[in-house]
Amino acid sequence: MAEQFREPVVEHIYTLNLGPQHPSTHGVLRVLLDLDGEFIVKADPIIGYGHRGHEKMAENRTYKQFMPNSSRMDYLSGLLYNHGFVLAVEKMAEVQVPERAKYIRVICSELNRISSHLLWFGTYVMDLGGFTPFLYAFDDRENILDILDRVSGSRLTYSYCRFGGVTRDIDEQFIDMTRAFVKRLRSRWSDYHNLVTKNVIFINRTRDVGVISADLARQFGIVGPNLRACGISFDVRKAEPYEVYDRFDFEIPTGANGDALDRYNVRLEEMEQSCRIIEQALDQLPAGAHINEAVPFKVRPPRGEVYFAFESARGLTAFYLVSDGSPYPYRCHIRVPSFGNLQVLTEVLRGMLVADAISILGSIDVVIPEIDR
Amino acid sequence: MAKREVVTQKLQAMLPEDAVCKDDSFKAGVVFSAQVPIGKLREAIKACDESEYYLESITALDFQDTFELVYHLNCYEAKSRIALRVLCGHDQAPATVSDIFPSALWQEREVHDFFAIRFTDSPDMRPLLMPEDADYYPLRKTFGTVHAYHKREKIYG
Repeated sequence: MAEQFREPVVEHIYTLNLGPQHPSTHGVLRVLLDLDGEFIVKADPIIGYGHRGHEKMAENRTYKQFMPNSSRMDYLSGLLYNHGFVLAVEKMAEVQVPERAKYIRVICSELNRISSHLLWFGTYVMDLGGFTPFLYAFDDRENILDILDRVSGSRLTYSYCRFGGVTRDIDEQFIDMTRAFVKRLRSRWSDYHNLVTKNVIFINRTRDVGVISADLARQFGIVGPNLRACGISFDVRKAEPYEVYDRFDFEIPTGANGDALDRYNVRLEEMEQSCRIIEQALDQLPAGAHINEAVPFKVRPPRGEVYFAFESARGLTAFYLVSDGSPYPYRCHIRVPSFGNLQVLTEVLRGMLVADAISILGSIDVVIPEIDR
Repeated sequence: MAKREVVTQKLQAMLPEDAVCKDDSFKAGVVFSAQVPIGKLREAIKACDESEYYLESITALDFQDTFELVYHLNCYEAKSRIALRVLCGHDQAPATVSDIFPSALWQEREVHDFFAIRFTDSPDMRPLLMPEDADYYPLRKTFGTVHAYHKREKIYG
């Protein structure tokens, strides 16, 4: 009997359930990790907990009725999705948009992009054990929520755009608040860099962690800041300029190694570029109407289809709409950036430590309800 | 030479002459869409992979007479997106492309979840977004409330 206790353990691989309710998964995501000691042998992300069927809902609603749904997929950059959906329908139905409305949309979208990146910045550093930067980031983000709340009436799931414009015009106070915010955010960069970017613990937990090569990125269809961190300068705002993005002078920040540190640096630099776009848009802001009142109540795009891509905070997002000429879309498919960005975990996590898995998952910035739709 | 020209030449050499439909105005968001016979799907996707394209999205459309699979591919250059369209009968099973583009695996699982289109030789056809015990396919036009169920020619004819 005693010898049985000394038998070598053959089955030394054990399975760890990361999630579905775990602070570092940022949403209801479960990752099945097969572990050999502390090293990951196999990772299998399991999604679908938040599946609501937005694509089916779209088929049962008119284009206008579906609009509030659009901001409820990626709730952190809801206005960008709202903007993208409206642009897709406008392109298909050939709706004219006043110049002023285009600028207002760009300003609000870029504000939303900064707020999404700020939230990511705060939560990512919190995942790595630093609580203070989280409070700093949320303090700044609160300003954006106040600004957008003034014009759109909501703080998270914006439904501000309309076919042919936006619901409400912006006023002098909005412009002052936005300019003050940009100035304030710029004064905070040194705080952020001193607190986090130069922090040796942070650097050790991100440098060479979760390296995604350019080839791996292409295989998995990775887009957005995660792709740019691999050194590929691809941004829909430049590649397929929509709205008035071709009138602004901004750069596409890129990294070199594709590790978590590069992804961090790219996002921080992107916030600065968004600030530049906002400033230029405010300077060029034309007078005039904020909405084209002639757009019919029920938009009926002609028969056919459109695949409209735009840059959300997480990368290339697209609405694929098929119309049969009725007020209801025949099919609405949403191509979400986090889909590919999350799937790459199966490759990247192999051979890493469990502690690094948290860092990698945080650094690729997934929003689970966007994947589940 | 731009990558979109490379891939156009490759696909034109492979497909019948009238299959590749160019759209320089980028109205539908693609530079061209190509009708690919279901048997040549893997060959066409391979040509895109060799031209350094990445797979952006796979989705399906349900018509009374057929399914239509739509593959959108793109590369990291300005306005280069292409669409490959595959007609797939309601009882047909297309081949998987997940060994060419790993990103196809989840997207094919999603299409299977929603439309019950089974991809042959796929290593993994477990439900992705739908519950494990779901015995319905929500995006088929025979499920739930639908406003229209057309034949394909009604929209693209």
